[in-house]
Amino acid sequence: MNFDLDDEQRDLAAAARDFLADAAAPANAREALDSGARGAVPPGRDELVKSGFATITIAESAGGGGGTLLDLAVVAEQAGRVLAGPSLVTYARAAELFAESPTQLEALAGGGLALAVVDAGSPVLDAIGADTFVALRDGDIVCGAGTVTEREPIDPTRGLADVAVAPDASPVPGGPDRWARAERVGRVILAAEGLGAASRALEIGVEYAKERHAFGRAIGSYQAVKHMLVDVYVEVEQLRSLVWWAAWAADNAPAELPLAAAAAKAAAATTLERAAETLIQVHGGIGFTWEHDAHLYWRRAKVDRFLLGDDVAAFDEVARIAMEGAR
Amino acid sequence: MDFDDTPDEAAWRAEVRAFLTEHREELGASSGARAFDNEVSRRRQALLYDAGYVGVTWPLEAGGRGGTPMQQAIIDQEMARLGIPGLINLIGIGMCGPTVIVHGSDEQKSRYLQRLLRADDVWCQLFSEPASGSDLAALRTKAVQDGDGNWHITGQKVWTTLAHLSDYGILLTRTDPDVAKHRGLTMFVVDMKDPGVTVRPLKQMSGGADFNEVFFDDVVIPDTERLGEVGDGWRVALTTLMSERFSLGGSGTEIGPGFEAAARHIGSRIGDLPAERQALVRQELGRSYVASLGGRYTGYRQLSKISKGEFPGPEASAGKLTGTRTARALADLAVRVQGADAAYASAADGTALWQNLQAVLPGMAIAGGTNEVLRNIIGERVLGLPAEPRADKNVTFKEGLG
Repeated sequence: MNFDLDDEQRDLAAAARDFLADAAAPANAREALDSGARGAVPPGRDELVKSGFATITIAESAGGGGGTLLDLAVVAEQAGRVLAGPSLVTYARAAELFAESPTQLEALAGGGLALAVVDAGSPVLDAIGADTFVALRDGDIVCGAGTVTEREPIDPTRGLADVAVAPDASPVPGGPDRWARAERVGRVILAAEGLGAASRALEIGVEYAKERHAFGRAIGSYQAVKHMLVDVYVEVEQLRSLVWWAAWAADNAPAELPLAAAAAKAAAATTLERAAETLIQVHGGIGFTWEHDAHLYWRRAKVDRFLLGDDVAAFDEVARIAMEGAR
Repeated sequence: MDFDDTPDEAAWRAEVRAFLTEHREELGASSGARAFDNEVSRRRQALLYDAGYVGVTWPLEAGGRGGTPMQQAIIDQEMARLGIPGLINLIGIGMCGPTVIVHGSDEQKSRYLQRLLRADDVWCQLFSEPASGSDLAALRTKAVQDGDGNWHITGQKVWTTLAHLSDYGILLTRTDPDVAKHRGLTMFVVDMKDPGVTVRPLKQMSGGADFNEVFFDDVVIPDTERLGEVGDGWRVALTTLMSERFSLGGSGTEIGPGFEAAARHIGSRIGDLPAERQALVRQELGRSYVASLGGRYTGYRQLSKISKGEFPGPEASAGKLTGTRTARALADLAVRVQGADAAYASAADGTALWQNLQAVLPGMAIAGGTNEVLRNIIGERVLGLPAEPRADKNVTFKEGLG
């Protein structure tokens, strides 16, 4: 058994962390809220594609990195830590959806396509600034223009908007099965971004609990505070295990992907929520100010839980698969 | 990344599986018995030991085979897979034996260790007392040395698993009340058949009786049965407790009949419920199932470390912490879906598995380290948070009694 990242993946994570530390920061989310700017927060589509990180799972023949979903998950964790935008979820899904559409794939990998994937009846991730939309329509995967209706965001890093895909959007190869697999792959990367955000929120909370003194001692020495942070730590590590498993399954054990992706999606939703709310609680008064980063992680949590199906749907799917598989 | 055995591990697994399959009846597979039968359980362990499958990681000179933790983990997995009950001397193997290996004399090692592995002798661990549970160093059982060098033991232990079947125990005592409480302790091997030792079984809330009170009334122990130096008992006890964590954590085995069995049971009953109930049950099952999967795959990360020859760190405590919580939630749901049967101790068809488990699991969050102690360990040793200030610092044991 070797359920661990290898050295190359660790190097990849370190390189992604370096790039993202320069290119993005949680403070960008606050600036976007302050200014009312509705575009993508840094690093933005162009930089993400140029870095090569966004296109890791796109085939080399189409100009991508030809890497595994686990490679992309490792990068997505780093992106989640700094609340980078746009989401790598879109690139992960596109690499699947355009598996037999080389023109679109090359355009995406070359930076010439600002894409968003449209889930019916749901706000669309990174719709703002997108010029091309892909959707499932009557069993066909279609790609074309769309009308974007912006709304006031909770989390400005997600670029959510309502989208009406143009009636003349044209079919690309693939059907409901491909769509479903791409959605699951997207769930894995969404969970990986949630893992990064949750583990960073935990770190900030732990640092503060060591520094902040009350009644003559560090607040992290009080079991009431300590145990809250430990519960987050335990959930974050279990989420990490689920993300790795799901990403591994996508490439190596496709039959396990539906359960693994639903479990990772559900765990990410609840874990990030708990991590962000604990971060606020541990900080006391400063924790619910506009100037502290805590609410930026909280905003990510409150929105991400609804993406790619909500956590309620994901838990329901896990239960159905569990009872089915157990029969 | 993969979940496969290395070639060596695969060969070992095949060998272990072949033996266990051949002897599965003798080893009590699917016998459903939870309680230990003294003679039968000892014979099972001897059968496994003689085949080379007990104490695999112990050194050769201690009666083991100098194997790897991964080999032991594979045996544990294969036994669980075939439904073979755990060994009667698990506490001896996991805690008492390792303590004798590190701190015992050559004479003690040759007298005790191999017999322990074969379950010729069953061992218990005599640490907890009525006034010292999580705060183990507060213990009061007194050991006083006489002019001949023998030690006289007076006091009481409690929650002592299998004391009623045990031949020997490791016994932590107070030999000096006038120093700080961690410094005045000394460890011994005690013969449970000695005059003055009284064992009284305690009935648990589940109805089972696995653990006991043990009374010591001027029990005499020769100085040659001391483990470690006089006053060094705390350090000796830490050896025991570290061994316990290693034997409990990271093996990838799970608590109770497992979450897949719970899902199977719930799946067989959910159709009897109204639709709105079904949706609630699926939410609860989904949450517990995700947490169970998270625990399983986190265990696989620890197992991967073991496979590379590393030892799991304090983070392994998380497995027990969440494992007991999700097992409780699943057992509760498994009872709940039984409808009118749920309020009785067994279903109308006589099955009581989930009702019984429901009554066992609250104790699992206490035995072997309470949830609160485990959270302190993770908070302080993994996250690096400061320890809670202690009122018993810089005072002697006697002063601490106030």
